[in-house]
Amino acid sequence: MKGTLLIHLRSGSMMNMDSNLTVKLARAALDKGYNVRIFGYGEGITPIKEGQDPKRFPNVGKELTEIAEKGATIVVCETCCVARGIHRGEEVKGSKVGSLTNDLSKFVSEADRILTLAR
Amino acid sequence: MAQSILILATKAPYGTEDFFAGARFALAMLASGSISRSTVLMVGDGTLNAVAAQNPGAIAMPSNVEAINDLADFEGEVYVLEDDLKARVGDVPIIDGVKRISWEKARELIADHELVTTF
Repeated sequence: MKGTLLIHLRSGSMMNMDSNLTVKLARAALDKGYNVRIFGYGEGITPIKEGQDPKRFPNVGKELTEIAEKGATIVVCETCCVARGIHRGEEVKGSKVGSLTNDLSKFVSEADRILTLAR
Repeated sequence: MAQSILILATKAPYGTEDFFAGARFALAMLASGSISRSTVLMVGDGTLNAVAAQNPGAIAMPSNVEAINDLADFEGEVYVLEDDLKARVGDVPIIDGVKRISWEKARELIADHELVTTF
């Protein structure tokens, strides 16, 4: 691997393109041989919710599963999920409900770059 | 492999959850033991989070003062950009443990951390 990119996503799945940009950046980095981790925090946890069905926009849930299959690691904050009524077992395939202390801290310690997408 | 992260706090308190989320992010890094230096720097409207007289009980929101104190308990460093604070509220008392710094010092602080994220 060339290095590790951590994408820190804090925007939700709809209303802006931050989650779509996250997928595109992750896909590009993976294609170039970089290791990619995505951590969703705050509203940034909503893109991993299973069952999304946008009629006119990209389905970011499906796209996250696709990039996970290509090697991206996708984790979101459990406290943020529970606060919004999303629980373990409701995440799209390839993503995980985790924590700041156990997952994000490890991602940060192993990252060469961190990229924050938020409003 | 990173051992230090700086959280740039740019949003005013209580209208958004950004500062609280950023302080919790910083705290989790230290609590995990994976990151040895996790620092918060308040800039722009984010400097208002340092004001000692804030009273979040009036709006039943989580206290940013407690979030800063929790960080201090784990030896997290918290700084406020003095010029930005003065431009907004003048020379007011700030929360114990928060250090006032100049832009020159802030630039050194940013350069001294391996990763930077913004809240």
